Amino acid sequence: MSLSPSQTSELHERLEAEYLDALENQTIFIFREAYRRFENLAMLWSIGKDSTAMLWVARKAFFGRVPFPLVHIDTSLKHPVMLTFRDKIAREWKLELLVGQNKEALAGGMGPSKGRFECCTALKTNALQQMIDAHGFKGIFLGIRRDEEGSRAKERVFSPRDRDFQWNFKDQPPELWDQFNTAYGDDTHVRIHPILHWTEMDIWRYIRRERIPVCPLYFSDGTRRYRSLGCVPCNSPFPSTAGTVDEILAELERTSTPERAGRAQDHEKAYMMQKLRSLGYM
Amino acid sequence: MDISAAMPKPPAEPALRIVIVGHVDHGKSTLIGRLFFDTGAIPAERQAEIERTCQAQGRPFELAYLMDALEEEREQNVTIETTQTRFRSSRRGYVIIDAPGHREFLKNMVTGASEADAAILIVDGEEGVREQTRRHAYILSLLGISQVVIAVNKLDRVGFDRGRFDAVTADAVHFLHSIGLTAQFLIPISAREGDNVVRRSERTHWYSGPTILEALDAFSPATLDRLRPPRMPVQDVYRWDDRRRYVGRVESGTLRRGDPVRFLPSGRVSRIRAIERWPDDGVPQASAGTCVGIMLEDEVYVEPGEVMAPLHDCPAAAVEVHASLFWMGREPLEAGRRYGFKIGTADASAEVVAIEERLDPASLELKERYAQKLLESEVGRIVLHLDHPVAADSFELNPKLGRFVLVDQGVVRGGGIVRSLSLADGARPRRVIRLDGRLLADPSGMLVDLRNESGDLELAADETFLARIRAGERIALRFAGMRPFGAFLNWAWEHFVPFSFRREQEGVWVSLGAPEYASLRDHYQDGPGI
Repeated sequence: MSLSPSQTSELHERLEAEYLDALENQTIFIFREAYRRFENLAMLWSIGKDSTAMLWVARKAFFGRVPFPLVHIDTSLKHPVMLTFRDKIAREWKLELLVGQNKEALAGGMGPSKGRFECCTALKTNALQQMIDAHGFKGIFLGIRRDEEGSRAKERVFSPRDRDFQWNFKDQPPELWDQFNTAYGDDTHVRIHPILHWTEMDIWRYIRRERIPVCPLYFSDGTRRYRSLGCVPCNSPFPSTAGTVDEILAELERTSTPERAGRAQDHEKAYMMQKLRSLGYM
Repeated sequence: MDISAAMPKPPAEPALRIVIVGHVDHGKSTLIGRLFFDTGAIPAERQAEIERTCQAQGRPFELAYLMDALEEEREQNVTIETTQTRFRSSRRGYVIIDAPGHREFLKNMVTGASEADAAILIVDGEEGVREQTRRHAYILSLLGISQVVIAVNKLDRVGFDRGRFDAVTADAVHFLHSIGLTAQFLIPISAREGDNVVRRSERTHWYSGPTILEALDAFSPATLDRLRPPRMPVQDVYRWDDRRRYVGRVESGTLRRGDPVRFLPSGRVSRIRAIERWPDDGVPQASAGTCVGIMLEDEVYVEPGEVMAPLHDCPAAAVEVHASLFWMGREPLEAGRRYGFKIGTADASAEVVAIEERLDPASLELKERYAQKLLESEVGRIVLHLDHPVAADSFELNPKLGRFVLVDQGVVRGGGIVRSLSLADGARPRRVIRLDGRLLADPSGMLVDLRNESGDLELAADETFLARIRAGERIALRFAGMRPFGAFLNWAWEHFVPFSFRREQEGVWVSLGAPEYASLRDHYQDGPGI
């Protein structure tokens, strides 16, 4: 049996729709489970494509509203385009936006010149910790994905951190049949990963289908674009002419370069991400 | 011109998630490496790197090292959690859920395999079925993974001897049948040399079945949940925008606007007014897997944890659960103690009334009856008493509402499947046996063996089972007594299933489908009648 080209593309469309539906449903289920089980939730929004797509699914889970605040950790080194995009979306989607910043470290002159590991820890991890302490958040939604990077592949959907922010990846409880571990002591906060099972391609396909607005830095200015958004000094664009979501998807089909290749902190030294993450990095 | 560039790209097909299990050193890592290697999933620089390492150490290039090299954790000596890796066939993508063997293996295998659509059980052709082969197969059966390939490996070491392959598969199939598991494919391979993994081997001329990759391609990631009775566990109730929305995921079957529904265990009744999937205000129906918001025609008080079901096809409101359980806690499970019990979206407190059977985790033989404790990594049959009624199905009828976890100090420590239930009013619901779930493949045809079943039964089968009968496949049933046979008669009557019947000393044989029946009917239709 062979299919005509139009039948083939129809079949492909249907399969893609079912596939994206399944990813979306799982994410909605996780959102609602967390919302039911935890008081005082917040979502970390990096302004990147992943957490923006995740935010879109949150609106689906809660019928158009987002019933918890969005936290953006502003290292003061972010591209101004990101901040403009952030404020526009926050206004249009009626989000409660909390911006966190480690002012003390910045006043002390913290920056990547003091060491990338130190800088990420101070301006991101510690800023987040200050935010969590100040608001008493018990659960934080994070848009990380298993396929991004080795230490993230080992994550659970509900992943506790102790008072010192430590992640004990050597002894994680089993997670099965969507019965998540949601009862923890008062001295922990829980990282919740609603899009852990998505891939980079999935995110872009979903953005295309749902027409989700994403930060303009992902699209080529004619010669270069960003594949992953970070701080200006530690994140480099790469040569690309992909100016639309379709062109980005076509480009990703061809590439074998890892997604985070432009992120300097991943390459600083061996296992830096694992070390950063065990200390509470996202 | 490159035509392939103009064609639509392969779709984002649902990837099939597979788990590879088997006894230590029977070749799991080599098989994974081979699948990666032969499907071109390994980046060239990585392959070169491994070749250099092997050369430097004076070893031949071994596929098993490939997996090692892909795990930075190996060097780090970090205990490895389940890792996921991907490859593609021409048909679809695959995710291998790999849980390398070590002390924490069971916990990780369960976490990984509980997400799997299909499994490859690998058996060394020289050594045959061993302890872990049996144990892993048993866990597959507990997790309800029914798409299974048996790969008999290392056949290059026995000269691709057919007799050896037959002996090992007979042994494996026999054990699988004893735990209610059926392998759809039995494949002779050498993972090391690549025979019948991705490439068809010329050294197994006596074998005409599929390769491993072809067998995987024949499986389906779609579960049969849609064909099972409609159920939606209520996850939460949102009271916003002057609306009361009962949110949840339809776990099985299909719910439609206008359906009369009942909530269990409360027994409250209403009708579906609207099914919401934002930004869509009203969709006509929702099938298994879909997260929705339901609005009812009446304002009924329903709590999260209750299950919404059709008025006349409800789950049981259970207070007593008979179950098979695997225990993963470092502290043993103790008879007489209470644990958290989670099923669907419901929570309860459960007392372990009895550990009826404690099985040896290696051999799966009965170790102790009415035990006091179940140790880490052990499996057993237990009886739980719940502090309040909870909606549940038997695992056989509906896996999604027939499996639960036990929680100790807030952490999941055990996974179980419901064998049978007792209702809140003390009655036992009629036990439902799914014929499709009991179908054993056999060279001479297919068999459903119900000789161990007794008591008040009801038989059920899905559409694929009925289609097989219509297609003329040979399916036989065996019963020991009159009552199960009576249940069969009810089922055959309801579904217009023809059969022939033979009574023997030790029971009853039934053969489904009766080609001669049609000619009989034609014969009498024109005649005087009987």
